[in-house]
Formats: sequence, structure tokens, C-alpha cells
Amino acid sequence: MSVTAPAQSAPSQSATADIEASCRWPLLALFGGAVLWLLLGLIFALIASLKFHNPHFLYSQSYLTYGRVRLAHQTALLYGFAVPAALGVGLWLLCRLGRSPLPAPGVALIGVILWNIAVLIGVAAILCGDSSGFESFAMPGYVTVILLVSYLLIALCGLLAFHRRAEGPLYPSQWFVLGAFFWFPWIFSTASMLLLCLPVRGVMQASIAWWYAHNFSSIVLGYFGLSSIFYFIPKLLARPLHSHYLAALAFWTLALFGSWGGIPTGAPLPSWIVSMGVVGAVLTAVPLLAVFVNFYHTARHNVEALDAHLTLRFTYVALVFWLIAGMQQIVGVLPNVSALTDYTWFSVAQWELFHYGFFALAMFGAIYYIVPRLLDRADPPVWSPGLVQAHFWPTFFGILISYIALLVGGVGQGFLLNDPNYTFAQVTRGTLMALRADTLGDLCIVVGTLFFLLNFALLLSRFACRRWTDLRKGAA
Amino acid sequence: MNSGPTLFLGLFVAMACSWLSFVLGPQLQIGDMRPTTNIVVGASGQIYPNPEPGLAHQGAEVYRADGCASCHTEQVRPRDLGSDINRGWGVRRSTGYDYLFDQPVLLGTLRVGPDLANAGRRMDAAAVLLRLYEPRALTPGSIMPPSPFLFDKRKIQGAPSPDALQIPGPFAPPRGYEIVPRAEARALAAYVTSLHQDGYLFEAPPPLQPAGKTNAPAKPATNSPAK
Repeated sequence: MSVTAPAQSAPSQSATADIEASCRWPLLALFGGAVLWLLLGLIFALIASLKFHNPHFLYSQSYLTYGRVRLAHQTALLYGFAVPAALGVGLWLLCRLGRSPLPAPGVALIGVILWNIAVLIGVAAILCGDSSGFESFAMPGYVTVILLVSYLLIALCGLLAFHRRAEGPLYPSQWFVLGAFFWFPWIFSTASMLLLCLPVRGVMQASIAWWYAHNFSSIVLGYFGLSSIFYFIPKLLARPLHSHYLAALAFWTLALFGSWGGIPTGAPLPSWIVSMGVVGAVLTAVPLLAVFVNFYHTARHNVEALDAHLTLRFTYVALVFWLIAGMQQIVGVLPNVSALTDYTWFSVAQWELFHYGFFALAMFGAIYYIVPRLLDRADPPVWSPGLVQAHFWPTFFGILISYIALLVGGVGQGFLLNDPNYTFAQVTRGTLMALRADTLGDLCIVVGTLFFLLNFALLLSRFACRRWTDLRKGAA
Repeated sequence: MNSGPTLFLGLFVAMACSWLSFVLGPQLQIGDMRPTTNIVVGASGQIYPNPEPGLAHQGAEVYRADGCASCHTEQVRPRDLGSDINRGWGVRRSTGYDYLFDQPVLLGTLRVGPDLANAGRRMDAAAVLLRLYEPRALTPGSIMPPSPFLFDKRKIQGAPSPDALQIPGPFAPPRGYEIVPRAEARALAAYVTSLHQDGYLFEAPPPLQPAGKTNAPAKPATNSPAK
């Protein structure tokens, strides 16, 4: 039942070098932009978080009021960081696994630049008070149009590379990337159309906004993150993936059930919709279990190797966080639990664990592997190992601190809220400690990200210096 | 699963399942909901809901722009889910009817602040304005961000403005100055005070009370300061 790990039968060096070279500029633009947006998004998160210490922090201007900053934070993180990073990893996997160079890299590069300009306009619009108001979909309508066009430019290049692939059989990572490539424009155009262009009536808007946010995270970002995990863990452990069938089971059950839900249990919607969401969320236990068993059997013989490679460390920690976030989601929809935890920081804790703990770490792992090879396939420049450590540990502990603080704070908030003898002011006071601990977590993640940015800049500059010396030598 | 077209077909079916059941299905069922006369109490020709005044609609835009929904929900859960009704946040659960005239419909996902579905039944415009200017003036220790950008601080010239906020204690402006709400603040206050979900519908009847108890909503404990 075992299958060969990706790219084990090594193709000729020059063909691989061509593939990497074709991806170079679009992917560098995607990753570079993503890291800058991540930092900006985290700074917004920090500003929002500091307001819980003192509501009079940066309060006098409308563009830095809590509501706007929080939406800007989510937008920068989801559309500035998450989607571009995911597209970069996705394009690279399609080219690499299909053994075909990226066609029309110039078109993809234009798409990337347009995308980043659109996100910039979107974040500025949110800060100026022109947001759509929907969480995870806060950008105004005129921006979503540009985003959709630039997404199509980038994704079509990827699809073309997939179409021209030299390798016949597909590896699971390719399914996941294609699934996400396909899913995103569908949900994004549905949401733009039915929330912004021709808004549907009444509570349908809320239903669609919840459905969009859920699908965007669980399926689109989930698929991209998993594609990287499915590629790097077997490849860098030099062990075949345990089972293609389990991978297929995870893929299809996640597509079917992971896409239902995201709707709070007490929502003012017909109860069958809410029930379907609960059923779907509970059934995501199947993909969780399938992925867990698959990787347990893939990695169990050399667990110690997981820590040896820097990409692997990020990737397997991301996998563990994905499993935890998934389990939390299942527990959170159970009726007795959701009565307690809906609309509390409990769900924010899950959101942060999924987006930072799982998705961002999976992307960091991939970026650490991909970027040096993009620059020079034959002799990849190396990351500074100290800075990698300085990136990993603050990020890891920051995620843990934030997650545990918000989880505990959220459950506590739920208990206090459900007892009407506590006034709301008392409930608020009860959560303050957790929110302030969360600031510490955010700060750690910012520090880690700064080191990552520094490492990225150093890598690029070292490579540029080397090129420059080579050129000078060639001239002399 | 080695052919692209098969993969896309499968994905299409999975996606379509989700889309049909969470977008098209609900839209067919509740997408063209109309105001109802299906009211339990006072049913004589009344319809529910009634459109809100224009100023409240402008206020909804301010609510959206400033991201108020980041911290406030506008939905009351059923009695058996959470303590929304016992807290006095509403007399019944929210239904689709309650949002027919809202644009955009921002139900919120997080309760950093209290639910606002029935805020109009708990606060008057003056209280809302005061909370917007300085929440701690009414609730000591509140973590709601003050929004001074919705107000003008003016030197009193002649008679004080009738619109000026009556601010108690340490948050009062210096002598000779007054705090006057801008148009956005007045619209937002009109929006918040317009929020109420108290038409008793067949879908969400008033709670049955045991004999001897009144049918009055629970005492709103939500915004009163901590003892």
C-alpha cells in the first residue's frame, strides 16, 4: 500500500533548476509580500490587544478604533499573508510535483502585484471606515473585484503548469492544492456577489458570511496547509507516505464535511441549517483521524528525525496544532458545550490556533525549504540557523500562550455569562487577565516574525552579494 | 485519482453539496421572507417588523464602519442555550424576521460587550451617546473604547448647546467647554436605540411563566455597574 515519496526518482538537475527558475520572481514576490503583511497584521493585533489594558490607548482617532483595527488585522493576516503564502507554496508544489515549469511567470507576477495593491487598498479602506463589516470578508466590494481578477491570473498559471505536467500519477499534495485553487474562487465570488454586489435579504447575509468564513479557513487554508504537510514530512524523512487511501479518505471527507458549518448553534436560522453544520463539524473527526493515522505510521520509525530538519520541525508542529484545532472545533459544536462557548473567546482561541499554529507554521516550514532553492538550485544560500531558532521558539511559545490564555479565558467567560447573577461588567473583569496574557503571546509572535523577516532579508542580501561577486569575476 | 478531470468532478460535487445546502437552500427557504402579521400579542392588523427611521439606517452605516460588530452581537439565543433571556437581553429568541430591514446584517460572533439585539429597550439616546463618548462615565472599569472622534469639543459661546452631553464627574470637559455629538454619533445613537426584537411571533412565542409570575422581561442587569 505504500507509495513512493514525492520526487524520489530524481530527475535531471537541470530540469529541476529550470522549474525553480521559472517560479523565482512570482514566488519571491508572493512570499516577500506575505511576510511583510504578516508583520503588519500582527502589529494591528498588538494594537487591538493593548486596548484591553487601557481603552484610552490610541483612542482619539477613528482609524485606530478597536473595531476597525481588528478587521484590518484579520484582513492583513488572511488576504495579505495567508492567501499569497498559500499560493506560493501551491504553485511551487504543482510545478515541482508535475515536473513542469511555471508557464507565463510574468502574468503570475502581475497577478501578485495586483493582489498586493488590492489588499493595501482594502486595509486602508477598512481603517478609513469603508469596510463591509463582515468578519473574514471585511474588504469593500471594489477591492474584491481586483482580488478575484488577480487571483485568477495567478491560479491559471498554476493550472496550466498542472495541465502540462510530465508526471502522470498524482501525489496527495497535488489534490489538496487543486482543491484549494478551485474552492477559493467559488466561495469568494459567492460572498462578493451575495453580500456586496446584490446583497441577499435579512439573516441570509449572516448565514453566507459564516459559511464563507468557515470554508475559507477550514477548506482553503486547511487544504493549502495540508498540501505542504503531505509533501514535506514524507520527503524530508525520506520515507514513503504510509497510505494513499487514507490520504484520499481525508481529502474527500474534509471536502464534504469540513465545508459545512461555521454557524453558531443558537443562530436565528432554520434549525436544519444549524444541525447540518453540527453534523458536518462532528464528521470532520474522520479526516482528523485519517491524517493522524497516516502520519503516525509514516513517521513512527524515525521520530527523532522530525526535529533534525528546520522545515520538518515547523511542519510537524503545524500538523499537531491542526489536529488540536480540529478537535476543539468538534467539541465546540456539541450542544452542551456551544451553549457555554459560543460568542466567547473560546472560538477566537480556535481561530488563532488554526491560523497561526497550523497554517502559518506550515507555510514557514515550506518557505524555509523553497526560497533558497528558488534563488540558486545548485548551491542554495543558507538561512542563519540562530535566527531560525529565534523565529521558532518565540512564535511557538507565543502561540501557546495566546491559545491557552484565550481558551481558559473563553471557557471562564462562558461560565460567568451563563450565570445571570454576574453582571456583564463582572464577566468582563473576569476575562481581562486572559486578554492581557494574550497580548504577551502576540508580542512573542511579533518578535519571532521580526527575526524571520531579518533572516529573509539577510538571505536575499547574501545571495545578491554572491551574484555581484560572480558578475565582477566574470567581467574580470 | 490520477486524472485531473475526475478530481475536478469530485471537487465540484463536494463544493456543490456545501453550496446548495448553505447558500441556495436557505435562500430558497428564507430569502424572500416578508414582514409578518403572525403575531401572538396585539395581533390586530399589526405587522412585524416595521422599517426603522432613516436616521437609524445612517447609524447602521456608522455601526458597520467602526466595526462595532467586532465586540457586540445582535442575536438572542433560545432560552435553553445560554443565559441571554435570563440576562434580560431579550424576551424571546431572535428569528429571521428581526433582520428583514437591516443592511448590512451584522450578527457578530463575539461578546466582548453585551448583546445589542434589544438595546433600544434598555437605553435611551442620551445614555448611548454618553457611552460612546466615555463608557467609563456610566460603567466604571468598562473596556469599551471611547469614541471622541464622534463628538466636537466646543467653547461655549452664549447659551450652552441643548445637544451637549451631560457628563458626570471626572470625564466632564473643562469649564467653558461642551461636548456636542456630531451627526455620525446622533445617527449611531438612533440606530442603537432603534434595536428591539419584541414582536411575539408564533415561531418564537413569549416564555410560558408559571402562575404567579409576571410576564415582564427580566430585570436588565447587563449594563448596570458592578456592585
